[in-house]
Amino acid sequence: MDQSHWIVSHLIEAAKLLPAQGPITAFVFLNSLQALEDLPFEAGLERGRELFGFETYLSEDRYREKLARERIRAEDLSETLRIDLGDRSQKPVGPAGNAFDLRLAMLSYPVRLAPAAELRWFVAETDALALYREEVSAETFERTTEQTRQWAMREVHVNTSNPWNVTFPELSDAAIERWPRSRWIAFSLRALWEVCRQGVHNLPIPHAQSQAIRHRDLFQEATGQDCDRLIDSVLIPFCAGFVDQGLATWELPHRDAGFWDTFVLLYGTTPPVELWLGELPAEIQKVASLSPAEIIADSLQKLGLSEVESPEYLTRELLALRGWAGMIWQAEDRGDRVGHPMPAGTLLQYMAVRMILLRVALGHLMRCERPDVASLADLRGALRNRIPPTPTTNVEERAFVVFQLSQVLGWSAAELSTLPAEGWSNLIREVESFDDIQRRRIFHLAFERRFRVRALDAISIHTQGRTNERVSAPQFQSVYCIDTREESFRRHLEEVCPRAETFGAAGFFGVAMYYKGVSDAHYQALCPIVVRPQNYVIEEVVYSLAESDRRRSSARKRLATASHQIHVGSRSMTGGALMTATLGVFASVPLVARVLFPGATSRLRRMVGSVVAPPAVTRLRLERLTKQPGPEGDAIGYSLNEMADVGEKILSETGLRSSFARLVFFFGHGAFCMNNPHKSCYDCGACSGSAGGANGRALAGMLNDPRVRTILAGRGLSIPEDTVFVGGLHNTTTDTFTYFDLDQLPRSHISDLETARDFLDEACRRNAQERCRRFYSAPLNITPTDAHRHVENRAEDLAQTRPEFGNASNAMTVVGRRSLTRGLYLDRRSFLVSYDPTLDDAESTILGRILGAVVIVCSGINLQYFFSYIDPSGWGAGTKLPHNITSLLGVMDGAASDLRSGLPWQGVEIHEPVRQLFVIESTPEAIAKIMARNSTVGNILRNGWVQFALLHPETAAISLYQNGEYIPYAASTHELSQATSSVDWFQGWREHMEFAQIGGHGGT
Amino acid sequence: MNLFTILGLIVVAAPALLVAVLGIASIIDRPLSENWISRVVQTAMVTGLLASITILALMLSGAERRVPIELGHWVVVHDHEHTPVLPTAEHADHPIYHFVFKLEFDRLSVPFVILIFVLCGTIGAFADKYMHREAGFNRFFMLYAIFVLGMVVTSLAGTIETLFTGWELVGLSSTLLVAFFQERPNPCRNGLRVWVVYRLSDAGLLMAALLLHHLSGEGDFDKLMGTGAWPEGVATMPASQAFTVGLLLLIAVAGKSALIPFSGWLPRAMEGPTPSSAVFYGALSVHLGAFLLLRVSPILALSPALSAVVVALGLSTAFFAAFTGRVQTDIKSALSFASLTQVGFIVAEIGFFAWLGKRMDMPTLLYIPLIHILGHGCARTLQFVRAPTLLHDYRVLENAIGTRLTFVPPRWQSRLPESWLIRLYRLALHRGELDSTLQRYMVDPLLSGLQWCDELDRRIANRINGTPPDSESDGT
Repeated sequence: MDQSHWIVSHLIEAAKLLPAQGPITAFVFLNSLQALEDLPFEAGLERGRELFGFETYLSEDRYREKLARERIRAEDLSETLRIDLGDRSQKPVGPAGNAFDLRLAMLSYPVRLAPAAELRWFVAETDALALYREEVSAETFERTTEQTRQWAMREVHVNTSNPWNVTFPELSDAAIERWPRSRWIAFSLRALWEVCRQGVHNLPIPHAQSQAIRHRDLFQEATGQDCDRLIDSVLIPFCAGFVDQGLATWELPHRDAGFWDTFVLLYGTTPPVELWLGELPAEIQKVASLSPAEIIADSLQKLGLSEVESPEYLTRELLALRGWAGMIWQAEDRGDRVGHPMPAGTLLQYMAVRMILLRVALGHLMRCERPDVASLADLRGALRNRIPPTPTTNVEERAFVVFQLSQVLGWSAAELSTLPAEGWSNLIREVESFDDIQRRRIFHLAFERRFRVRALDAISIHTQGRTNERVSAPQFQSVYCIDTREESFRRHLEEVCPRAETFGAAGFFGVAMYYKGVSDAHYQALCPIVVRPQNYVIEEVVYSLAESDRRRSSARKRLATASHQIHVGSRSMTGGALMTATLGVFASVPLVARVLFPGATSRLRRMVGSVVAPPAVTRLRLERLTKQPGPEGDAIGYSLNEMADVGEKILSETGLRSSFARLVFFFGHGAFCMNNPHKSCYDCGACSGSAGGANGRALAGMLNDPRVRTILAGRGLSIPEDTVFVGGLHNTTTDTFTYFDLDQLPRSHISDLETARDFLDEACRRNAQERCRRFYSAPLNITPTDAHRHVENRAEDLAQTRPEFGNASNAMTVVGRRSLTRGLYLDRRSFLVSYDPTLDDAESTILGRILGAVVIVCSGINLQYFFSYIDPSGWGAGTKLPHNITSLLGVMDGAASDLRSGLPWQGVEIHEPVRQLFVIESTPEAIAKIMARNSTVGNILRNGWVQFALLHPETAAISLYQNGEYIPYAASTHELSQATSSVDWFQGWREHMEFAQIGGHGGT
Repeated sequence: MNLFTILGLIVVAAPALLVAVLGIASIIDRPLSENWISRVVQTAMVTGLLASITILALMLSGAERRVPIELGHWVVVHDHEHTPVLPTAEHADHPIYHFVFKLEFDRLSVPFVILIFVLCGTIGAFADKYMHREAGFNRFFMLYAIFVLGMVVTSLAGTIETLFTGWELVGLSSTLLVAFFQERPNPCRNGLRVWVVYRLSDAGLLMAALLLHHLSGEGDFDKLMGTGAWPEGVATMPASQAFTVGLLLLIAVAGKSALIPFSGWLPRAMEGPTPSSAVFYGALSVHLGAFLLLRVSPILALSPALSAVVVALGLSTAFFAAFTGRVQTDIKSALSFASLTQVGFIVAEIGFFAWLGKRMDMPTLLYIPLIHILGHGCARTLQFVRAPTLLHDYRVLENAIGTRLTFVPPRWQSRLPESWLIRLYRLALHRGELDSTLQRYMVDPLLSGLQWCDELDRRIANRINGTPPDSESDGT
C-alpha cells in the first residue's frame, strides 16, 4: 500500500509534463513545457530536451541563414556573447586570443566536423591544405604566411632539432629561397595542420557511456530492436477505442468498467496470434489480484529498478506515448471538455496496462535476442555491457577544428608551435565546452536580441514627445480581442477613419459563460481555459418567430438524421452497395464542383441551406430570474448586479470610462474554414478555441440595459444616454463582420452604424490585402478587393491547408494606452492590450487582473508556436498532409501513430521563434507587487519564459528586465522609417518587415 | 490512321508525356515550379479526358463497339515446326509466339478510363493546393503522373503483358506514395509492406501470363477471353485450364484489391498524403483487381467452380471489412474498410454475374459491377477528400439533431453471447489478425527455413574449404 502511494502522486505530478491540449475541437494554447515554468527558461529547455529528446533550438545552419539575411546582425551576436561570458570573456586562450574571440569565431564561421575517416579524405583530396578559408582576410593570411616562412627558415629549417617532431621534408629543397608566394601559402597551411595534429595528439579523449534509462533505449542501442513498436501496436488501437467519442460505430464493449478491466476482458484469456503476445494472458493472470498502482510497483520491481530510479523511469515510460497518455489524462482531469469523460484513475490504469505490455514485450525480445539472460531484472545490466563506451571525438577532428579556427583567428603555425601542453588542453577544453547546444543557445539569444532592439527602438522613438491623449470626439469606438490579427485591422481602421478609437481586451470581454447558440446541441465554455464559468447563456428565437423556428428546426433534424444515416450507411455493406451502385456516379458532381469552384459551390450551398436555417432574429437570454445560476430555464443568465460587475470590469480594464462615442462595438473573433481539423487553433484563444462573437453580443446587451447603466452610474461610471453598444464577430479568415441585434438599434443610430460599417468594410479589404502579402498563392500586387475575394475563397476551399496564419507572427505584447502604438506599423506581430495606468489604484489591481490573464494567454500562445516551430515533428503536429482524425479527439499520422499534439507545420510556417516581449506601461514597484500576488505570472516573468520591459507612464522611459534587474534602455538609433500608409509600407514584401511610423500617425 | 487511332493515341500519350516532362525536368535537376507543374498536369488530364469522352461518343453513335490499336510487336517468333497447344483457324497465318503492345477500347475500358481522368484530374487540382510549399511537391506529382499512366495503360491493355506493364507502374508509384514521408520510419516500413504484397500478387499475374503464352503462344485478350466485344466475349479454352489461369489471376486480384488474406496493407497505405490515399485506395487502385476480373470475365463464365471461388472470396472480404470497419476509430481506416467492403461486394458481383450471364445468356449483366465500380469510386473519393472536415460535419449534425450521435448496433450483434462479442471485437481491433497470421505461419517459417539453408550452405562450404566453423561468424 505504502509503495503504491508514491506511484499515484508521482503520476499526477508527471502528468503535468504531458501535452495539456485536450480535444482538438477546442484548441488550447499552452507552453509545451508548462510543467517546467518554475525553472529558469534555459534550464527548462535543457531539462525538456533531455526528457523528451526534442530540439529546443533551431539548427546552427538555420541560425546562420538568419545571420546571412540580417535577421541576426553581427552586433547582436557579439553583444549577446559578451553578456553571456561576463568576466570570462578576456580569459586568454591559444597563443594570442581570448575566450570571446574564440567563441565569436566559432559562431561566425561554420566549423567542419566529421568522422576521422572523412576528415582524412577531406585533407588529402580537397584543397583544404592549399588554400585558406575564403573568410580569411588577405591581410591575415599574408601575415601568417610570412610568420610561417620566417619560422620555417629560422627554426625548423636551420635548427633541425625542433621540439615538435614534425618533419617537413620539403624544406630540404635546394630551391627553397626561390619558392613563390603560393608555395609558401600552401606550406603555411600544411605546417599549421601538422602543428595542430601534434598539439592535440596526446590529449586524453573522453568516452561517453550510454545515458539511457529505459529498457527500450538500451535495447535499441544494443540490438536495434524497438519494444515500443510492439507495445504501440496493441496500445494505440486500444486507447483509441477506449477514449473514442463516437467515431467507431461499434463501441469498445464494457468500457465503463475502466481501462484496466476492459483490457483484461479483451486480452485476459486467449492470446492473439502475434507471437510476442503469447505470454500476455499468463502475465495478466499473475497480477490479477493487484490494484493498478500495485501492478506498476510489481512491474518496476520485476524489471529490476531500484527505488531511486523508479520515479524517473516511470515518468519516461509515461512520456513514451505522450499524445495518447495526455489525451487520456485530459479526458479524466477536465471531463467538462469532452462528451464522454474518462473516470478517475484512468491514467493510472493506462500505466498499469503499459507496464504489463512492457513486461511481455521485453520478455519476448529477451528470449529472441538475449537467451543467455536469466530474468528481466538482469536485462538492463546485460544490455549495458553490450554497449561499448564511445569516444566523443578523435584526434583528427580536434586537430581539424583548431586548424580551421586558427586560420580565421590568424594564428600561425609559428605561434601555435610555442603553445605548451597546458595551453593546448586549455584550448581544446574551451573549444569543446562551447558545443553545438551552447552555440545554438547564443545564436538564439542573439536572434531574440535583434527583435527586442528593433521593437524597443520603435516604441521608444514613437513615444517621444507624445501626449497620452485619447481621440477627441470619436466617431465610434470599437473593442477587439488582443490578438495580433487585430493589430493590423485596428491600424487600417484608424487609417481610413482617423476619428475611430480602438481598444484591445482579452476576447471573452470578461463574460465567462457556458453558451448555447440557437442551433447548437450543447453548451460550450466561452472563456480562457483556466476559468470555470458560473453562468449560462442561451440564444433563442424571438417569440413571434417561434413557430417558424419549430418548423425549420424539425426540418433540420429530419435532414440531419437522414444525412447521418447516409454517412453511416455508405460505410456498411448492403447500404453502401445500394447507394454507391445507384447514386454513386452523381457524387462526381459535388466532388468536381467543390474542388474546382469552391467559392461558387459554397454560395450555392448557403442559399439552399438558408431555407432551413434558424430565423435571423434571435435574442440572448441574459437576465436571470432565480438566485443561483444554472443551465436550465430561469436559472440561465446573469443578475443585474453581476451584469454591472462584468461591464464595469471590462470598461475599467480597457480605460473606456469616459468620452463615450454614440456607437461602441465589441467585436469578438472566430475563424471559419472547411476541411481543417485544426480549425479551432485559429479561433479565439481567450474563448478556449471557440468564436467569441457571443461574448461581445452578451456584453453589449448588458451595457445597453438602462437598469445596468443606473447601477454603474451609482458607481461613478456614467454612460451617456445616446451611447449604444453593439456586439459583433470578426471572421479572421474571410475578414468579414457580423453584427448582432441590429433590429434593436434605435432609429437615431442607423446612420451612425452605416457610416461605421463603410469604414469597417474598407478596413477589412485593406486588412485582407495585408494578409495576402504572406500567402504565396496570392500575387504581390493584389488589389484590396481581389484580396478580400481571395481570403473568402481560401476559407471554402477543401484543399486549402493554410486558410489563414492565425497568430503565427506573434512576438510581442504591448500593455498600455493605444497612444503608445497608434500610427506604428507593428506588422501583426504584437498583441495589443488596452490599459490606462492613470485609472488604476495604488495596488495596481486592474493591471494585476489584466496580467493574470494576458501573461498566461500570450506566453502560452507564443511558446506553443515557439516549440511547434523549433521541432515541428517533436513538439508540433508535423505536416497536416497525412493527418487522420481519430476518436473525434485528435489527429494521427497515418493509421496508427501517437496522437499529434501541438500546431501543424502549415500553421507555424511563417513564425519567428522568439520569446514574447512584453512592454508594459507601468513601474517596477507595481510589477513587483503583482509578481508577489500571482505566483504563476511571477514565475513566467521572473524565470524568463517571456522577456519584458517597462515603459514609465509619465516619462515614457523604457527599462528592460534582465536577470532580476531593470536596466534603463537606450535606443540604438534615432531614426524610424516613415510611410504614408500601411499599404505603402508593406506592398511588395513577403517576409517579416521592419516597424515604421505611418504618415500622420493615424491621422490625429 | 483513322480518327479512333488518333484519339486512342492521345489518351495514352497525355499521361505518358506528363511522365516524360516531369521526369526529364527532375532528371536534369531543373524541377518545374509549382505553377508549371499544375498547368502541365491540368493540360494532360483535360486532354486525356476530352479524347476519351470523344471516343465514347463516337462509339455510342456509331456501330463500333471495339477498337483495338496495335502499337507494334516487341517479340515475334515464327515457328513452322511446332504447332501451338491450342490450334485454331486464326493461328494458321499468325506468328506462333509474340508480344504485342496493344490497346483495346471497348465498353469496359472506355468508361474506366473516363473515371480515371475525372478522378485524377480533380485530385490533381486538389493536390496542387493541398501540397503547396511541401518539400516533396515535385516528387508527388512525378509519382502521380506515373500512377495515372499505369492506370490508363492497365485499363486499356489489350494483351496481358501490356496490362502487366501498367500494373507494375501502378504498384511502384503507389508504394512510393505510401512512403512519401520518407523521413519518418513508419511510412517507409508500411510502404515496404505494401510493396511485398504487391510483388507477391504480381507473381500470380506473371505466372498467369506465362501460362497463357504456353497455352496459346500469345497474351492477347481478344483471342483468349473471347471473340466478341466485351461483355459478350466467349472464351475458348477447357474449363480446367480456365480454372488454373483464373486462380493465378485471382492471386493478382486479391493482392491489388486487398482481398483476404492480403487486406492488411490497406490501412497501412494511409501513411501518404490525403489526396493520394483518396484516389488510390478509395477510388482507383483498389478497383484495379475488380477491373482485371471484368476483363477476363469470359474465363469466369467458363468455369462455374472459378466463379464460385470468386464469389466466396468477394463475399468473405466484404463481411470481414464490414465488421472490421465498425471498430475503427480513425476516419481514414474506417473509410478504407468501407471501401474494401464495396470492393469485396463488387468482386462477388462479378463472379456471380459472369456465371449467371452465361446461364441466362445475358452477358449485359456484367454492366452492374462496372456501374458499381464507377459509382463507388466517385462517392468514396468525395468522402476521402472531405475526411478532414469530419469534426465540423459531426458538429453540424449533432446541432441539428440536438443530441450526441448514436449508432444502433445491428440485430445480429445483440443475439450473440457476450464472450463471442468480445472475441469478435478483439479480432476486428486486430484487423482480423490477417497480417499476424501471415507473419507467424508463412513469413516466419519461410524466413527460418531460408536461414537454415543459409546455415547449411555455409557449413558445407566450410567443410569444402577446410575452414574451422567459428572463424566465419565475425563477418556477419
